Amino acid sequence: MVMAIVLAAGTGCGTLRSEEEVAFSREILPILSENCFSCHGPDEKSRKAGLRLDIQEEALGAGKSGKKAIVPKKSEQSEVVRRLLTRDPDEIMPPSKSGHVLTETQIGLLRKWIDRGAVWGKHWAFEVPKRPEFPSGVESGQNPIDVWIAFRLGHQHLQFAPEAPRATLIRRVSLDLNGLPPTERELRDFLHDEDPGAYEKLVNRLLASPRFGERMAWDWLDAARYADSNGYQGDSERTMWPWRDWVVSAFNSNLRFDQFTIWQLAGDLLPLATPEQRLATGFLRNHMINGEGGRIPEENRIDYLFDQTETVATVWLGATFNCTRCHDHKYDPYTQRDYFSLLACFNQTVVDGSGGNPQTRPTLSVPSPEQLRHLGEAEAKLMAVVQAIETFEDSKFSRDSGTSIEAAPAAQHLAREILDDLKVAPRDRDGARFDRLASFWKATDPSHSRLLQECRITRSERDALSSSIPKVMVMEDLPTRRPTYILGRGSYLKPGAEVGMALPASLVSRPAPSISNRLDLARWLVSRDNPLTARVIVNRYWQSLFGVGLVKTAEDFGVQGEKPVNPELLDWLASEFIDSGWDVKHLLRLMVTSKAYRQSSKVSPEMVERDPENRLLARGARFRLPSWMIRDASLAAAGLLTELSGGPSVRPYQPSGVWEEATFGNKRYEQDHGASLYRRSLFVFWRRIVGPTLFFDVAGRQTCSVRTPRTNVPLHALLTLNDPGYLEAARALAQSVLTARMVDDRTRLEAAFLRVIGRVPTPEEQGILLRGLQRHRHDFAETPASAAQFVAVGESPSSNSLNCVEHAAWTVLCSTILNLDEALTRE
Amino acid sequence: MNPLVEHHLQLTRRNFLGRYGTGLGAAALAGLLEKNGLRGSEPVRMGLPALPGLPHLTPRAKRVVYLFQNGAPTHVDLFDYKPRLQQLHGKPLPEEYLGTKRFSTMTGKADGKLLLAPVEPFRQHGQSGAWVSNFLPHTAAIADELCFIKGLHTDAVNHAPGISLMLSGAQIPGRPTLGAWLSYGLGCETESLPAFVVLTSVSKGTSCGQIFYDFYWGSGFLPSRYQGVKFRGGGEPVLYLNDPAGLSRSTRRAMLDDLAQLNEIRFREEGDPEISTRISQYEMAFRMQTSVPELADLSREPQSVLDLYGPGVREQGSFAYNCLMARRLIERGVRCVQVMHAGWDQHNSLTTELYNQCRDTDQPSVALVTDLKQRGLLEDTLVIWGGEFGRTPFIQGSLDDRKHWGRDHYPYAFTSWMAGGGVKPGLTFGETDDLAMNVVRDPVHVHDFQATILHLLGIQHDRLTYRFQGRDFRLTDISGEVVRAILA
Repeated sequence: MVMAIVLAAGTGCGTLRSEEEVAFSREILPILSENCFSCHGPDEKSRKAGLRLDIQEEALGAGKSGKKAIVPKKSEQSEVVRRLLTRDPDEIMPPSKSGHVLTETQIGLLRKWIDRGAVWGKHWAFEVPKRPEFPSGVESGQNPIDVWIAFRLGHQHLQFAPEAPRATLIRRVSLDLNGLPPTERELRDFLHDEDPGAYEKLVNRLLASPRFGERMAWDWLDAARYADSNGYQGDSERTMWPWRDWVVSAFNSNLRFDQFTIWQLAGDLLPLATPEQRLATGFLRNHMINGEGGRIPEENRIDYLFDQTETVATVWLGATFNCTRCHDHKYDPYTQRDYFSLLACFNQTVVDGSGGNPQTRPTLSVPSPEQLRHLGEAEAKLMAVVQAIETFEDSKFSRDSGTSIEAAPAAQHLAREILDDLKVAPRDRDGARFDRLASFWKATDPSHSRLLQECRITRSERDALSSSIPKVMVMEDLPTRRPTYILGRGSYLKPGAEVGMALPASLVSRPAPSISNRLDLARWLVSRDNPLTARVIVNRYWQSLFGVGLVKTAEDFGVQGEKPVNPELLDWLASEFIDSGWDVKHLLRLMVTSKAYRQSSKVSPEMVERDPENRLLARGARFRLPSWMIRDASLAAAGLLTELSGGPSVRPYQPSGVWEEATFGNKRYEQDHGASLYRRSLFVFWRRIVGPTLFFDVAGRQTCSVRTPRTNVPLHALLTLNDPGYLEAARALAQSVLTARMVDDRTRLEAAFLRVIGRVPTPEEQGILLRGLQRHRHDFAETPASAAQFVAVGESPSSNSLNCVEHAAWTVLCSTILNLDEALTRE
Repeated sequence: MNPLVEHHLQLTRRNFLGRYGTGLGAAALAGLLEKNGLRGSEPVRMGLPALPGLPHLTPRAKRVVYLFQNGAPTHVDLFDYKPRLQQLHGKPLPEEYLGTKRFSTMTGKADGKLLLAPVEPFRQHGQSGAWVSNFLPHTAAIADELCFIKGLHTDAVNHAPGISLMLSGAQIPGRPTLGAWLSYGLGCETESLPAFVVLTSVSKGTSCGQIFYDFYWGSGFLPSRYQGVKFRGGGEPVLYLNDPAGLSRSTRRAMLDDLAQLNEIRFREEGDPEISTRISQYEMAFRMQTSVPELADLSREPQSVLDLYGPGVREQGSFAYNCLMARRLIERGVRCVQVMHAGWDQHNSLTTELYNQCRDTDQPSVALVTDLKQRGLLEDTLVIWGGEFGRTPFIQGSLDDRKHWGRDHYPYAFTSWMAGGGVKPGLTFGETDDLAMNVVRDPVHVHDFQATILHLLGIQHDRLTYRFQGRDFRLTDISGEVVRAILA
């Protein structure tokens, strides 16, 4: 159901801040921050002349010199203005060596602001978002998102573009929500659905699909720096994938985002924590582990805490906390004390930083139901054998009488070693003891000898099963509080003042709520008192659907971050997200059913010039798909994609020697075969020191990343043209149109094109492709051996009935289609 | 840099590349740049243009080859000659040298720090009288061409953070590296090869090599087109470079022609400039398929040149091969070549594997300098040789077990050399105390070293910045002074 506006609802909404405060936050603060704060800002160590301009009381008070920096309503008496205007090179501000220069307009703005009373305000993102009131003249039933977008467009005398063609729309929304293009059938159904709610039905189907969780999980895995190995030297394999599967299922079951947060940051601390809630805390343990010889454990341990602190700050607060590791933030009101007070929450871990074990305790065993069953069977079998042995030995040596075995008459002549072996309970005997006892009984009681051997085998089978169960690193705290110190310049060797756990002082109102563990922290992160989480999260969802966030710097909501292009929309979405019960599917549904989302992405040269990045949204977003999605879409179009979800990560095709070269031969890439080659990209093994070669422009998965680059370079072309996986997709696609019952080239071409692009080619496009096909046929006909070689790519079965010249020519054609800009792009 | 200008520039670059691929030439580009007010002092060139206003200064070098020695070569055994180490061989390190230094956990306790004399003797060489160990006879022979910087010091004691600091200015991975900054700032003269190329190798028989992490040539938060492209040591130098088996060049060409035409139609239809960039990138991919194999084809190198680089030169993936490749790359307009050689981590192999390291690197490093000089390229090419830190003047291991003598990581003093573009030849700059423990004259911090490299390339290190997470980042982080004394 689409959220619609109820026009009568005027009460209960927050009021906008005064114009003056807005002006400060939007126009004045950026000037001060950019040009003044590095010497007159929050960082005490680099502060000059004892003056700070980031705090009202200080800026209005007299500095060391006795002169007042800012005198409200009197710009001509304000030292700041005098120093901006002076011609004296020793006095001018900012100093010339800083490289900063204020424009006349900026100086004018500052003067005007001072003359109007120098009204202070807070940085916009540090004020709790309030649901803004809609402007007047809103049509009933309009999607609220469109109200705000139209409001901005109106200011620019622009309007929405027409709705995108239906075929474009279904491809767009299928890729955005499921990461896959529509099938032919889905496309046809949608095109022929005359129900006015057809699009909403489509959206609901996509949100309910199990593919939804797989698509949404990717971005979360980037933020969570998920990988299948430790990183650093050695780069041992880890088994965090059950956590990855949990993320998929959490999205699919639409776990409320507040719970999603609490479980991952503090699931272990919840009362009566379930295994699932403990599993979720694997989020915090996804950091790299350094097993380099000679590493000092404490240094490692502190590094892991840095990573956890900074990851949480980026993911939930959009805060660049890494700056405050060594000193107070230069621009934002975050202090080094804030940093270590947050770090204190993670500092209670039992992890001590030593070694490079990829399953460093605490861990959680996560058996599959099948493994659990097998383990139960193995255990029962072992019990039975052990019991049989015990019965035998008890009767032989009357052990049940409680006397020591030495006292038994039958034991009188036994060798010391055998006696010792017998004293150990059968379950605990090592291999040598079993062997010795088995050979001891071999002559006198061969059946018992066999029983002993069987016990040994059964036990090692049980052990193998138990060690094959993945262990996920999870969180657990020490029973007693570990003290936390501010580390001088972030060095573990320079502990300074002790700090307790606390929330960043500038984000909480006084008196600050006290926190005493991760759970308190997590709960605050998703509380209404936190100004940032909801904004930061809705912005990232916006980014994944529209290509760019409302705040482009998704990782930085601080003073130096971008101001939102549409602040009312951001705040409205944040409020709506919270009020809906942190309902992710509801939020996404709102976004994709908006008019803004459904616009055509066509653009005129004038609009490219005027709004190159499409920040105003006078057209639909058009951007190159993430590389993993291009791969999944190609496999799907070719009919190769396997729907199997979850489980250990897989190893598809990769050029030989990549791992070997990066690890001096220590890690060999053993490619998988069969269905594993065609699993979704989410399940591809991620070696941290040398990521999969079949992706580009992806997060490094070394540290947290919430915004991945989108570039356009020749190496990408080489991949999609020459990688065997892509060629195999082309070959399989060719095969399927050649073996289908179709009358001619044109029909086949239309079918192949439709599968990839979601529409049939125009006559002009058909002309080019069919002429190309003729030429390829001609080329391959002259070299049939090459044709045979060419269509041998990939391990999926090839149809024997196909003429290989024909198949090769069609494979080139399909590869052309898979490389079209339109195939690589979501329009 | 102002994000708006950057955006504008990207558009211009894109337009250029987009049009170029479909026939619009350099003249049109000039017009385009002029129209956008972006025609700086720099003449319009082919390839990736420089940022407006760059270079800031008259460059002394136009390109860089960094012969990076991963694992930390022992300054004590190779360059920093200390007769007193001979005298105190086997004696405990005097306490006063130690201060509050920290060491990796592999270093023994304080009373276990026994001084170790250099394994091979040293001699003075050339007019300059530079001290070089017998380990490096080729280097010694051109000592008058080189500028030894002996007072280098760093903040890191472990490899990955140390290398990261040396190459990106920060210990934590994720900042743009030197080569990325150079291609971002200065652009590049070739359009058939990447602006920043990385080549890696390791000596045969090395027991412990340092992994080549991709963040050693990453572009961090700079657009990824500036990141180093690592040519592989075996097989195709660039992944997916070769056309698939059975596909002819002419079929590929025909296919790309169709693709370009179809994308043109889409561009007409949709108007997204990204489409025309895509067309040009596919064209550059096609050109790379020719230029890279041509680059790797050594058949026209005279025997005398091959001999210069030594016996390993024909072996793809060897240091000698990579040094020759470095010359061929810069000849073709590549801005920065980072040649990395692993295996210098002599914790227990000073008397064994160190010989292999020197055997494999000494001659080729020198050959590169000589070869460049013979071609007149050394004048404006900067060659840098060195690792991420030094090694302890005291022993790791047991004095009685000569076969396993080793030295541990040491960040407080180490040596690198530079040659060519704008550097004083035949200079030994800086000095450590009589045990090579502490820099006593002319210390050069990693950031000073980087500031100097940028200066030689005409860049003021504090002016080449990029806005990320609200801060203007630069290679030298928040420090760095140009070492003027070594400028020619």
